[in-house]
Formats: sequence, C-alpha cells, structure tokens
Amino acid sequence: MADRDLFETLQSAGGARMSRRGFLQVAGLGSAAAALAACTSGGSTPSTAASVAASVAAPSTAPSLAASPTPMPSYQIEKALYMYNWAQYISPKNIDAFKAKFGVTKFQYDVYDNNDALIAKLQAGAKGYDICSPTAEFVPRMVQQGFIQKLDKSRLPNLANIDPVFKGLWWDPNDDYLIPKDYGTTGILYRSSLLPSIPATWKDFYNLVKGPASGKTVFVDSMGDVFVFPLKMLGFSANSVDPGELDQAKTILLEIAPHLLALDSNTYGTKMAKGEASLALGWTGVLEQQMSKVKDKGYVVPSDGTIFWLDTWVLLAGAPDPNASYAWLNFIQDPAVQAEESNYNLYATPNDKARPLVDPTVLNNTAIFPTEEQVKALEGSKDTSDNQQRLDIWEEFKQNIGKG
Amino acid sequence: MTTLPATPPSTPRSARRRPALLTTFLILPAALWYAVLLVAPLVIVLVFSFGTRARNGGYAPGFVFDNYARAIQKSEPFVLSLEMAIFGTIGCLLVGLPLAYFIATRARRRKSLLILLLVIPFWTSFLIRTYAWLLILGPDLGLAGQLQRLTGADRIQILGTPIAVMIGLVYGYLPLMVFPLYVTLERMDRTLIEASKDLGAGRWATFRQITLPVALPGLVTGSILVFIPMMGEYVIPQILGYGRTYLMGNALVTDFLEARNWPQGSARAVFLIVIMVVTIAAYVWFVNRGRRTRDVSVL
Repeated sequence: MADRDLFETLQSAGGARMSRRGFLQVAGLGSAAAALAACTSGGSTPSTAASVAASVAAPSTAPSLAASPTPMPSYQIEKALYMYNWAQYISPKNIDAFKAKFGVTKFQYDVYDNNDALIAKLQAGAKGYDICSPTAEFVPRMVQQGFIQKLDKSRLPNLANIDPVFKGLWWDPNDDYLIPKDYGTTGILYRSSLLPSIPATWKDFYNLVKGPASGKTVFVDSMGDVFVFPLKMLGFSANSVDPGELDQAKTILLEIAPHLLALDSNTYGTKMAKGEASLALGWTGVLEQQMSKVKDKGYVVPSDGTIFWLDTWVLLAGAPDPNASYAWLNFIQDPAVQAEESNYNLYATPNDKARPLVDPTVLNNTAIFPTEEQVKALEGSKDTSDNQQRLDIWEEFKQNIGKG
Repeated sequence: MTTLPATPPSTPRSARRRPALLTTFLILPAALWYAVLLVAPLVIVLVFSFGTRARNGGYAPGFVFDNYARAIQKSEPFVLSLEMAIFGTIGCLLVGLPLAYFIATRARRRKSLLILLLVIPFWTSFLIRTYAWLLILGPDLGLAGQLQRLTGADRIQILGTPIAVMIGLVYGYLPLMVFPLYVTLERMDRTLIEASKDLGAGRWATFRQITLPVALPGLVTGSILVFIPMMGEYVIPQILGYGRTYLMGNALVTDFLEARNWPQGSARAVFLIVIMVVTIAAYVWFVNRGRRTRDVSVL
C-alpha cells in the first residue's frame, strides 16, 4: 500500500492539468449505474438514450458518422490535415469518419501538454500545422502575435449549433478567431462521508468551511478561481472590479482564510483521498487523477453560478490545408460528431445541439456536464489581472491562511 | 598566474602578445557566460523594476518608483522569507555540524560510505524527494498517523505546519552545509586538540577555542550556500507547508504570473538580489580578512 501511495504521489507530482482526456474515465464509469437509474426515472426519453447507446457501442459508428447531415462543401479539399492538439482529445472514430467522408488520406495528430508549450513551438517558427486547440485565454496573445487567422464564418454553418453562453466573450468578442471546443468549470469537490451535508451553493460551501470542514478545506492556488466563491455567493459577477463589491468579497475571504488546510493546485485530490481534506474549491481533473479509488467523492457546480475554462479550435496562419481545415472545423460541430467527441474525451461540449445525443452516462455525470440550469448560470472569466485591488486582497488572503 | 616565466626582452612583439591573447581567449567563455546569464538578466530586472505594467500584462517602459513603494509597503513576505531562511540555516547548522564532525573525526573506515550516502539523494529529483516527505510525515502511514495511533489523539497535523517546512528545509539543504564543514574539519590538525587537553582545557573550551575557529570558514561557506537559496525557496513551503505561508517566492509568482505585472515583480526581486549581494559581499570581506592567516578556499 505504501508503494501504491508513493506511486500516486509521484504521479500527481507531475502537474496540474495533464492531458485533456482521461481525467474522468473512472469517475464516469463509477457513476454509470447511478446515472442510468436517474435517466430511466425520467431524465431523457428512453428512445434517445437507447439509440445513442447503440450508436456508441456499435463498431459501425464510423460510416454512420460519415453519413452525417452536414453537406459536402463545394470547394476542393486537400488530401492532408495537420493537427496539433492535446493528447487523446479527439475521437479516432471521428477522425476515420472525416477521412472517409472528405477523402483526406493523411491525418497527422501531434500533441502538446500545455498551452505554453504550444505557444513556444509556434514562436520558434513551427510551420505546417493547420489546426490547434489552445485554451481561450491564450488566444488573444496568439492573435496579437499573428499565429491565428480570422475565420471565414460563411464556411462554417455548423457554428449555429454552439450555445451562445460560450460566444462573444472577452477573449474573442466577435467570435472571429476561435470556435469553442470543450469546457470545464470551477466548482466544489467534496467527500460525502466526511461532511454532514452536501453543498449545492457557495453559501452552503461557506457554512461548511467555517464549520464542519474547518481545517479540512483546500483552495486551488489561483486568484481568478478563488474570487468566484465570495463574489458569486454575494450575487455579483465573478469578474467584478467594483471597489464596493470587492470589499465585501474581501471580508468573506479573510474570514475564511484561517479555516483553510492548504492552498494547492496540484495535489488537493490526494489530500482529499487521504481524508486530510473533505472539501475543496477546484477543478474536476483530480477526481480521476488522484481520487480514482475514493467511493464517496463528488463534484458540484454551485447553483449560484461559477466560471468556466474553454478550450478552442483555431485555424493557424499559413495553414497548408485551409480547405481541409474548414471541412474539419465544420464537420466537428455536427451534433452527432460532437456527441461522439464528448463520449470519447469525457469533456462537456459547448455544442448544445449535441447534448441530447451524448451517452447518458456521460451526460448525467455532474463532474463532466453541468445541468442546463447550471450552464445558464455560467460566466465566462474576464482578464482582471490588472486590478490592483484584487491583487491586494489576494495577497492579504494568502497571508492570513493558517493564522488565528 | 604569477608563475608565468618572465618574457626575455629579445622576443619579437607578436610572440610577447600571445599569452595575453591566449588569456583573453580562455577567459572569454566564462566572461560571456556571466555577461549573458548573470549580468544581463540582473540589468533587465533592474530596468523592469522602474517600468509600468503593459495593458495586457508584461512590461511597458517607464521611470516610476511606485513598484518600490509597493514592495516596501507590502514587505511581509520578505520578512517571512528572511525569518525562514535564518531559522533554516540555524537548523542546518545544528544538524550539520555534529554530523560533519562525526564523519571527519570518528567515522574512520566508514567515512567514504557516509559521504556517499550523503551524496546519493542528490541523484534523485529534488521534487520527488520533497514529495516523499508527504508520505513520511503524512496522516496515514506517516509520522502524524503513527503519533495519532499512539496517543489516541483526534487529529495530529504535521504537514502544513512550520515544523514540516523546517524539516523539509533542513533535509533539502543539509549536504550543502555538511560538505564545507567536513572539508575544514577533516583538515584540522588533531594534535591541537591533544595539546588543548594536555593544557587542561575541558571539552567545551576545546570546542570553543580550537574546533570552532578551525571550522569557521566552512561554517560561513555552508551558511551562505544554505541561506541564499532558502531566501527564495518556494517549492518546500508550497508542498510541505501546504502553501500556508506567503513568502517571497509566492509573492513573485503572484506578481509575475497572476497579476502579470512584471515591473512590480521585478521591484520585489531586486530586494532579494540586494540581500544576496550583501550576504556575498560580507562573505568576500570575511575571506579576504582571513586570507593571510588561514586557507579558506572551500568553495
């Protein structure tokens, strides 16, 4: 057991958000039974569920995807497509279907493991890639540096399938450069057996931290994510820079600080798995990476609202295969194709037409897909890093952790 | 350098210039190394520290003192780091001095084995060794868990406390303290101790008047090797201290990565650099002062 422990600790030492896929595989399977039960008791209609399950299970999925309703474009498509992306982030079935449908013979899939690596490679003059998937907040910088070309939206009719919640955000106000790909939320992780009640809102969370979870709560070490909690609890925008609102948020943060066990973005899942912590403000990645054996774990998207991170599709400047790229970018937003993406990579899709087609065990896993009401309460995060008041509060908060 | 043979006056000019050229040539790589990797970054940090934050983060040219005003006003992380580095150095001394003394004087045939054992951990990643302490001190199989079982206490928490940070610091930096001490103690003339005893000095007097002065250069070198990196230490307090202390390292991360305010971070970094320079200047002074009387070339 000690060896196993060491192994896990070392694994988690590797980094915060590793590859995009695989976070939640076990979490998804573990809650499969519960999700199925929920679904048959009136979640989605049985017929949809059955047909989706069938299409997911059947080996003949590729041809059926190739026959998707997305019409063939009129332009000549190149025979190759060069993708630079996160590891295991795109369904091989979709790649096969795409190749079959559009006559693309070479589909190169190279991987990077963080945004900085992607940008560094582009800065070093990497040529020959068509498409990559940076996280949204990195896109403005990449546009500024001329790495990304403006999209011709007339060639992307399937963009209409994307939920407006994910459009027109600060990183690309006119949706000129990026297409939403997958997203995840900042929320509450808990271990139900160690808590008297399960939080549903930030207010519940606040009461737990001050009470039963005092000294057993971990926050991720990330300013933007931590501010979401007091601001949303008070009913303000998570991106607020209003001095009065921030003052109120400060009061809450300073009140909470002495009750925290740790500020930790890398191994908070391990701390929860060991029972050192029972509650955390964080992301879903650790549920699978560090808590795979924990039975009573759970994740809540607080109903009073939270922020999300968004991975995107962008078309690189100087892409050698622009037509094949457009064909792919449009094809991938076909609802059936996009549903298969979520089934494969276990991330929520911003394509809300795809939602009903997603495997119910994936769709009903709250660690992957927020409910439709929760999606409505989501707020795109703004870049507030230039706000000095936030920074001062953040520093004071950090200085008060573990004091008193 | 002084041992170069004097050039006979009859040699042609070009031949006379050759050694100078050769010297320049030999010094060049080291000089370039220092210029590009040490001086240039320091100059950049200094220049940045007077600038302002660009609209999208980073650095915009300017000449303001706001960053320093803020760095002074928010000096708590600096004070905490200083405190931690001082206590960490004392901790390393308390553990390192007896250990070095033992290896140098008492270990006999096991000497090389013990030194090897001190070196071996250095072949493992620092991060992995620090993470290993999570298990050693941890709540289930680790020290905290065992103590909890022994005493029947409700909850014993070691990780995330200053004790855990101190253990991590002393562990991580100990070899840097032990080696310089070992070298000086190893070279100590043992007859001095015998003489001291013969002259009627007790153990404490012998230690104070013989061993300590002999070990002093190693002690100073070791302390500096340990103190300076501890001032900027980020990983150990973050992992073993659960990020509960806000140190200089944390403050720099906040400034550079979260606020993306490079000038503000640079101003804070200048404070660290000043401390480093002052410490090293004190060391150089100490070395020069001692040069005539004893050999201090431990570094």
